[in-house]
Amino acid sequence: MIEIGRLCVKTAGRDAGKKCVIIDILDGKYALIDGETRRRKVNIIHVEPLNQKIEIKKNASHEEVAKVLDELGIKALQTKPKPKAAKPLKKRKTPEQLKAQKEEKKKLRNIFKPKKKEEKAESKEATLEEKAGLAEQKKEEQAEIKAAKPKSEKRAKKKED
Amino acid sequence: MPAPRLRSRSLRRVFRKVPGGRVSLQYKKQRPKTAKCGSCGSSLKGVPRAFTFRMRSMAKTKKRPERPYGGVLCSKCMRQSIIDKARQ
Repeated sequence: MIEIGRLCVKTAGRDAGKKCVIIDILDGKYALIDGETRRRKVNIIHVEPLNQKIEIKKNASHEEVAKVLDELGIKALQTKPKPKAAKPLKKRKTPEQLKAQKEEKKKLRNIFKPKKKEEKAESKEATLEEKAGLAEQKKEEQAEIKAAKPKSEKRAKKKED
Repeated sequence: MPAPRLRSRSLRRVFRKVPGGRVSLQYKKQRPKTAKCGSCGSSLKGVPRAFTFRMRSMAKTKKRPERPYGGVLCSKCMRQSIIDKARQ
């Protein structure tokens, strides 16, 4: 039953239930098909022959198959060719543009650069002074609190409890 | 008596053997059942066993196999029906 020109129905895959024609037989195990289905190699098990036969050349092109099937009222699958998008051309940058780019990159680099030693020392002294001032203030505050609430009161309360 | 919220039948009851040896009753969330073939009743492959809210966010191609009757009939039944039709 499986021969070139035999009308078939595909029984497996996404093209299952669609009609096709056998164009070629490969190794007696696989067949090349075309028609409502995609043009492809299939296992003979995945194709169910019908009792109709068409006269067709071996390895016929898709257009020929479409023409023959059109007479039988079977519409062959038409794949839309993809529109070719023009590749964007790469343009070389002018020397001025390159200079501007370099400067921008330098600026960005400077943000993350570690500070120099002198700068660091200055900043440290400033912070230390600030800290010292704060520390003095803190000590004063604590002393005031202590004066307001002497420890002896707390101890006396505890003893009462 | 269990807590009132556990008395609803929207939860599944499971008897579990606890490490201590006794058997305790646990309440579990009910999972949806697997999809079944419309003609033979066998479970369908390629159809996820997920809640509807999860199925809704899934792509169509992830919810069923991409062949005629995909997600309705199993591949065997689909193939048999096509062959039967062709041999008439």
